[in-house]
Amino acid sequence: MLRRLFVFVLLLSACRTSARRHDTAPAQRVVSLLPSFTEILFAIGAGDRVVGRTQWCDYPPEALAVPSVGEGLPPNIEAVAARKPDLVVVYKSGANMTAVQQFERIGIHTVLLDLNRLEDLGPATRTLGKLTGHEAQAESLVAKMDSFTYRPLPPPTVSIAFVVWDNPPIVIGRGSYLDELATQAGARNVFSDVTAPSAQVSLETIVARNPQWIAVLSDSGKPPDFARRREWRAVAAVRDGRFLLLKGSLFGRPGPRSGQAIAELRRMLAR
Amino acid sequence: MRWTLLIVFAIVALLASVVMGPAAVPLNELLHSDIVWNLRVPRALLALLVGGSLGVAGAGLQALVRNPLADPFLLGLSGGAGLGAVLAIALHVSGPWALPIAAFVGALAALGLVYRLGLIGGAALDPRILLLGGVAIGAFAAAVTTAIVSLADAAELRNAFLWLWGGLSGASWDTVLIIAVYAPIPLVVLFAASRPLDLLALGEESAGYLGADVERVKRRVYLAASLLTAAAVAVSGVIGFVGLVVPHIARLTWGHRHRVLLPAAFLGGGALLAFSDTLARTVVAPRELPVGVVTALIGVPVFAMLLRRWTIP
Repeated sequence: MLRRLFVFVLLLSACRTSARRHDTAPAQRVVSLLPSFTEILFAIGAGDRVVGRTQWCDYPPEALAVPSVGEGLPPNIEAVAARKPDLVVVYKSGANMTAVQQFERIGIHTVLLDLNRLEDLGPATRTLGKLTGHEAQAESLVAKMDSFTYRPLPPPTVSIAFVVWDNPPIVIGRGSYLDELATQAGARNVFSDVTAPSAQVSLETIVARNPQWIAVLSDSGKPPDFARRREWRAVAAVRDGRFLLLKGSLFGRPGPRSGQAIAELRRMLAR
Repeated sequence: MRWTLLIVFAIVALLASVVMGPAAVPLNELLHSDIVWNLRVPRALLALLVGGSLGVAGAGLQALVRNPLADPFLLGLSGGAGLGAVLAIALHVSGPWALPIAAFVGALAALGLVYRLGLIGGAALDPRILLLGGVAIGAFAAAVTTAIVSLADAAELRNAFLWLWGGLSGASWDTVLIIAVYAPIPLVVLFAASRPLDLLALGEESAGYLGADVERVKRRVYLAASLLTAAAVAVSGVIGFVGLVVPHIARLTWGHRHRVLLPAAFLGGGALLAFSDTLARTVVAPRELPVGVVTALIGVPVFAMLLRRWTIP
């Protein structure tokens, strides 16, 4: 019994050291399980190391040549393992925790990264740079990203509401990435008193707060269907057709192109 | 006395849902406010109509299948509606009414399948098979829905579930008008079946001896209750507990005679939903609670209290 326990402990510590060994050498085969990670990896010149991506990773165009491993949230363990990665970069969220344990169990090294807001970009980029041996490029990308995000904030000149779903109305609150984008672009999110990243609100609240613009994530470039629903026409911005149609690939994720997203949003608001 | 209380509750609930809301509307501007006329009033009326329809549909179905657990959504309709909505999103059907219409069609398809299953083994509609068939079709539709959501590429598919639990957010004069024209037809059919429903409670055989055309009543009640539910789910998603708890509360208070029970279930269901929706909109303002949460939080304790009072002498 004791001997068995001893062997077990020995095995356990062997696993530990093998995991640690991975940390030192730069990863050669990386599976990226978040579009933002894929963008960062390509931006720091580690794109040739990426051997797997999610079906949502559509930027840069070169990324589309990398085989997809599916949705990525939660990841398909076998599809990821089939790419024979020596590093899997996983978005830190509850849905992924079981998968991370399973990756470690079959000896695949994983790294969990937070990437919800602009502030997370620097640390995530540095970590990815270290893991792939591209520290210098990571540092210069961080410097570049810092230059467009941490300048003194412009005072808000317009008000805006992000509507991510219409029935029930779900809006973006304070502290989410889109809220940060609005602030950086000189707009005031009328739901910045809501502390959750997104929340269900009553339509009449949107009417009463009367945002000058309604921002929606839309890839089609057409005004949303709810613009033609009678109850929504109580909102002045909807009546006047003042929609900001934001492409999800550019605006929906923090990444190396966040500066471009901020500039574009500012340009749209100046119309 | 019981009726007075119920009517007062209904009036107070309707008034509260017009006067109260997350946006501050001064009392003297109440009559001229866009928020009140175009958002709160239609929403209150829709709550009354949908809650009332669910209450009556639940009461009818409980009598039909002679099972106290029967709920308008138990017979596969919510599963069918969900599948319809998800299909509409996956196939990129667009338009301001795409989701309600698709959900209604899905609910009707489920209704037809369950009805066909209920007729298995002859021309007589078997309530037990109806119940089991409803659960089975609902589970099957939910499985197909989940498969589509996990396989298809559209990111907005996840929101289809939000829509299915959306509550009364989509209320407008358009939806009120549609339901106000549609709902009275199945409602009248159910009210007209009051006497045979009383007899049905004694058992199908006894009801037959007492002169009820049992088969015809069963079909009518099933179809009318399901058509009511299908419309409710199309305009306000799945709202739980109203159709389950309100008929029981009405039965405990007014007894088993459907001529009294059904109107009480209508008014009670409508008032409960209007009241719950007012709380859902106001208690955590500017955020909003899903209305089904509030109907359960209010309905279940009231129900438990009544059960206790009526079972302990």
